[in-house]
Amino acid sequence: MKKYFSGDKWKYAFYTVSHPMDAYYEIRHRDRGSVPIAIIFVILFSFTFSINRIGASFVVNDTDPSTVNAATELVAVLMLYALFCIGNWSITCLMQGEGRLKDITIAIGYGFIPMIVCINIGTIVSQAVAKDEAAFYYLICGIGIAYGLVMMFMGIMTVHNYTLGKAILTVILTFVAMLIIIFLVLLFIDLINQVFSFFRSIYQELIYRT
Amino acid sequence: MRRRKTYLKLAALCMAALVAALVPMESLYADELPYETYTYDYWENIVITPAAYVPAGSVTGTDVGAGEFSEPQDFCLDDDGNLYVADTGNNRIVVLDPTYSEVLQVIDSFDMRGTTSTFDAPYGVCVSENGQLYIADSNNRRVVVLELNGDFVKIIDNPQSEILEDGFDFVPLKVTVDYADRVYVIVKNAFEGILVFENTGDFTGYFGTIDVTLTLWEKFWRRLASKQERAKSQLYIPTEFTGIDIDSDGFVYASNIDSEGEQGVRRLNPRGEDVIQKGENGNVGGDIVTGTYGTYSGPSEFTDVVYRGKGMYSALDRKRGRIFTYDKEGNLLYIFGGLGSQEGTFNTPIAIESTDSQILVLDAYYGSILLFDATEYGQLINDAVGLRYDGDETEAIAKWERVLELNENNELANTGIGKAYLTAGDNKTAMKYLKLGMNRKYYSIAWKRYRNEILSNNIGWILTVIIIVIILLIVYFRIIRRHFGKHKGEKKKKQEGLLT
Repeated sequence: MKKYFSGDKWKYAFYTVSHPMDAYYEIRHRDRGSVPIAIIFVILFSFTFSINRIGASFVVNDTDPSTVNAATELVAVLMLYALFCIGNWSITCLMQGEGRLKDITIAIGYGFIPMIVCINIGTIVSQAVAKDEAAFYYLICGIGIAYGLVMMFMGIMTVHNYTLGKAILTVILTFVAMLIIIFLVLLFIDLINQVFSFFRSIYQELIYRT
Repeated sequence: MRRRKTYLKLAALCMAALVAALVPMESLYADELPYETYTYDYWENIVITPAAYVPAGSVTGTDVGAGEFSEPQDFCLDDDGNLYVADTGNNRIVVLDPTYSEVLQVIDSFDMRGTTSTFDAPYGVCVSENGQLYIADSNNRRVVVLELNGDFVKIIDNPQSEILEDGFDFVPLKVTVDYADRVYVIVKNAFEGILVFENTGDFTGYFGTIDVTLTLWEKFWRRLASKQERAKSQLYIPTEFTGIDIDSDGFVYASNIDSEGEQGVRRLNPRGEDVIQKGENGNVGGDIVTGTYGTYSGPSEFTDVVYRGKGMYSALDRKRGRIFTYDKEGNLLYIFGGLGSQEGTFNTPIAIESTDSQILVLDAYYGSILLFDATEYGQLINDAVGLRYDGDETEAIAKWERVLELNENNELANTGIGKAYLTAGDNKTAMKYLKLGMNRKYYSIAWKRYRNEILSNNIGWILTVIIIVIILLIVYFRIIRRHFGKHKGEKKKKQEGLLT
């Protein structure tokens, strides 16, 4: 436990925000990152998202409160996160990427830090703005999201030791890989269902005949 | 003494309950009606509301002693409240008195310059502001203009123009007339729009053409399809207009069937441009939520529209037999009606008319006219919307408040009251109502005023607190630096020592 949650690891997560290039290199080569902490950030991001949807002021918020469900949003965010990491991992394995699955999960997970901070600040700021000042709210959230995405991209680039062009290419291919994974999973579930129903019908036959 | 007072109160309560139980209430309850009254809220959810209109009986041809109506297709009210029914199957126009209880006149023929002429399937009927009767005599391919007593005035037929294609078949279905006696005619299979005639009877052109827009996806498939496939697929032609009405300023309200369910009514200015406002939901096409399969699926099909004054109009949906009422801004006010065989429901609703307190619907299958009376709720909404249209928002408040007592989720009422509080300067209450009314624009204004009010009232101690905090911070940092300066220096030395 100490290995994953030491104070040093926590501090390093925030150091990553201010020095993404250096920090991601260290994470890859000196094990300065921590997967559990990265996952905690993903969970926090999902909560931030739900809080923003339900708590942002009426002036900027066009969400039907009855459609907000923090539990399903948590599951969705975690699933997408896992899907992206696995997709990226499977693509970069084939394209001479140096990063391990561990590094990818950390690179993406730490990228959520600016989003968490800025969207929460935005939610608080939104309580004070009127319609003509709503630009501040959108600016704060926008900066957070943009910086987070840039961080994730830099993370992928650094941990795999890619050039810019190759990193962009792998990100695009990652989305293709995600689609393929979804397709395979659905196929698999369908097959399992059929096998299951086959055994169930055998069982039913046996029950009815005895 | 106190105990006696409570007893008195109790007795009073019991009496009130007894009176409430004994006095028959107006039938406002949905379970007594053959249909639900509802509307769509900001989130496009169906919201059941108190009834806006309740069935008030029906009138058939036999009731008034004119013999059964046969597939009547249109009717029209004149300024005196007389009702002109186009009894299409019986080739006649039946005129009823304002109480719809007796026949004033049956027009089945007229004297045209010495020869007697009859109708063949008169499909549409309209009374002009100048008191003349216009009849779309469909199978005779002409529009007949008569005085209200049945005397012949003129005939409009056989339009001549180079924009009409060869062999153009002039089968008029619906007709309306503006203040200058310009005649607007919906013609069978004329997809180019409504035909307009001058008061002399000369054809001037098409009006209010509905544009066809192909989606990118449809264009893509058409590009892929072969010539034979394209010939087989459905033609992308504009929809026809189905019903027509006109307001006193000469704006034409025309209904059409929109396969997207977005816009079933057009408000055409005298140049033929559509100037309708689509409201908060961006929709004047009837039902927003529809089933995906079965007979009740698909968007509403508006078959007629009636202008109700003060910017309000009602459209009649033949698919589910519902009547949709919108205000000038396109806000949905109430929806009621339904198909069925109970009293107050339709089989084939075909035309709609309205008076101040009643809505009349013509059912072609039963050959009957169904009457609907406004309830208190419906009348309040009509009045409040009318006052708003006239700019009397302050006078509308009493009406809106009563509406809220009957239905506290009415967004228009909440917005109306919120705006009133805003003008009165009670920003906090205004915020509450405007939020309930889902009106972001005015909520934002109220909030801004409320916020500035709080700030200016409390600016003294807010500034004091900020200054005190700054001073404390400065002092705190000074002390820290003095106390821990040594410590930091040692640390630095240690690090340097490690480095060397």
